[in-house]
Amino acid sequence: MGLSREASKKILMLAMLLPAVAVIILFLAVPAALTLLISLTELDYRFQWIWCGLENYARLFSSPVLQLIVKATAIYVAGTLAFNTLMGLAIALISTHVHDALGTFVRAVWLLPRVLPSVIWALLMMWIFSPLEHGFLNSLIVRAGGSPVPWTFLYYWPFLFIVNGFIGSSLSGIIFSSAIKSIPQDYIIAAKLDGASGFTIVRRIILPMIKWHIAFFVAYNTLSLLASFEYIMLTLNGGPGFYSTEVMILHAYHLAFGQYMVAMDFGYAATIVTILLVVGLALSVIYWRVFRLRRLMIEPKLE
Amino acid sequence: MLKIGKILLYAAAVVLALLPVVPVALLFLLAFSEHPVFIEGFTLKNFEFLKTGVLFPEHPVYSKLYPNVYTVMVNTFLLALGNMLLVVLVASMAAYVISRYSFKGRSALLGAFLVIHGVPASVLLIALYYMLRAMGLLNTLAGVILVKMSVDLPLGVWVLKGFYDGIPWDTEIAALVDGTSRFGAFFRVMLPLVSPGLFAVGLFSFLSGWGEYVFVYTFIQSSTNWTFSLLIQSLFGEMGGINLALVAALSIVYLIPVLVIFLVGEKYLVRVTIGGVKG
Repeated sequence: MGLSREASKKILMLAMLLPAVAVIILFLAVPAALTLLISLTELDYRFQWIWCGLENYARLFSSPVLQLIVKATAIYVAGTLAFNTLMGLAIALISTHVHDALGTFVRAVWLLPRVLPSVIWALLMMWIFSPLEHGFLNSLIVRAGGSPVPWTFLYYWPFLFIVNGFIGSSLSGIIFSSAIKSIPQDYIIAAKLDGASGFTIVRRIILPMIKWHIAFFVAYNTLSLLASFEYIMLTLNGGPGFYSTEVMILHAYHLAFGQYMVAMDFGYAATIVTILLVVGLALSVIYWRVFRLRRLMIEPKLE
Repeated sequence: MLKIGKILLYAAAVVLALLPVVPVALLFLLAFSEHPVFIEGFTLKNFEFLKTGVLFPEHPVYSKLYPNVYTVMVNTFLLALGNMLLVVLVASMAAYVISRYSFKGRSALLGAFLVIHGVPASVLLIALYYMLRAMGLLNTLAGVILVKMSVDLPLGVWVLKGFYDGIPWDTEIAALVDGTSRFGAFFRVMLPLVSPGLFAVGLFSFLSGWGEYVFVYTFIQSSTNWTFSLLIQSLFGEMGGINLALVAALSIVYLIPVLVIFLVGEKYLVRVTIGGVKG
């Protein structure tokens, strides 16, 4: 006997929910707040809290590299986003219009780069597009009698769009495919009867009907790209040359952890991160409102 | 006319299917290549390290710079397994409560999980570094596992909530009427019913831990705690131009569980991919 039903229900709920909530608070909410605090200090390798107010922010806004890293971030996000969205559309349109088995296969293999450890994907891309003669593409060119092309020196942005785009396109491909599959066949049959070509059907029926899915993907992907730097770090690491691909979050990483742990300028680095966090949170709130995300997030149960 | 269009469409589909596969196929060819940097011939000599775990048996001094491959394998496995178990355990309980009970702050909590998932954890690295250092968990696998599982948890909760939502209330009520407690119903009725979800989230978290690079690179210093990702990255950085075939062979060993999971669980991974939205 003992406990009332209501009380035992409460205890059960609490006990089952508590671990998750504790983990989220301890490892995600607290660090977010801590980042803001660190950005107001001169915290460095000595790990002493020396408060300095907004000095770090003043330093950042007068920094000569600010313009470079903002520009790199804009190019990186816009380019990767374009690659992800267009490739996702191609995957979705093609895989839903061929035999179902082949279509499923196409979508499945595009998951491959995503599940590969990031290090292996980066290594593969670096080897294939290596500017040296032993790079895979260059070895083909040399064997055919041509001279090697310095791929990653000349075309560093397209290279990064490809490296990152292969990871993100599986997601857009799957989202768009399931959206296309849920379009009632009647519309398409009716259009065909009226003599519409395949191209017209895509442009006039399919694209307008999945435009919210596209907008949703673009919005959500922007957010995650803003703060992602793993594949840049693993490949060009901000180079070639001076800060050509140094995006904001990568710059923060270099300031904090640098190469071989020499930098450790945590206070200043946290400034950039705080700005990204604020932008990220603001964008999330906007998306939450615009896309009524809760509804959209339940939808993916289909399959 | 129609025929040509159809042929072009199928050709495009085949090309599209080859794009992600070709790099992986090339990696295999290189790993079995006789030449250290070009794809040439076929040999197993690049896999010699599997016998003793020592990468450069003929250069003992050089070998000392790198940990034993088997140590690295165990570390990677512990990280992946720890991440998987913690995510599945914690997420399965939380998702059940969120799916089945209405309570104050429920939608706020769900919203928080979604927002957190949307912003990559890389932005928290500095603070996490500080915290792990304060807790004495820097340079330990346990520290990395805790951080990693907290990052993968929101996705796990979202996906599993979807699976719980899909199970009719009647099933649970029937169990309760038959006299089991709420916890008994969860444990003996609900968990088996969402096992595809647990499987999907488990596979995903295992892969996520197995492939992790940034957290390990940032939080771990001593090479005895390295994982495969650090070993391969370090070797590629230093030997990329000298003995690429060896790095490729090591990568193949690193890839085996990934490819097995990909082949076995591809359709489960798709469900996690749609459930959690991240590029």
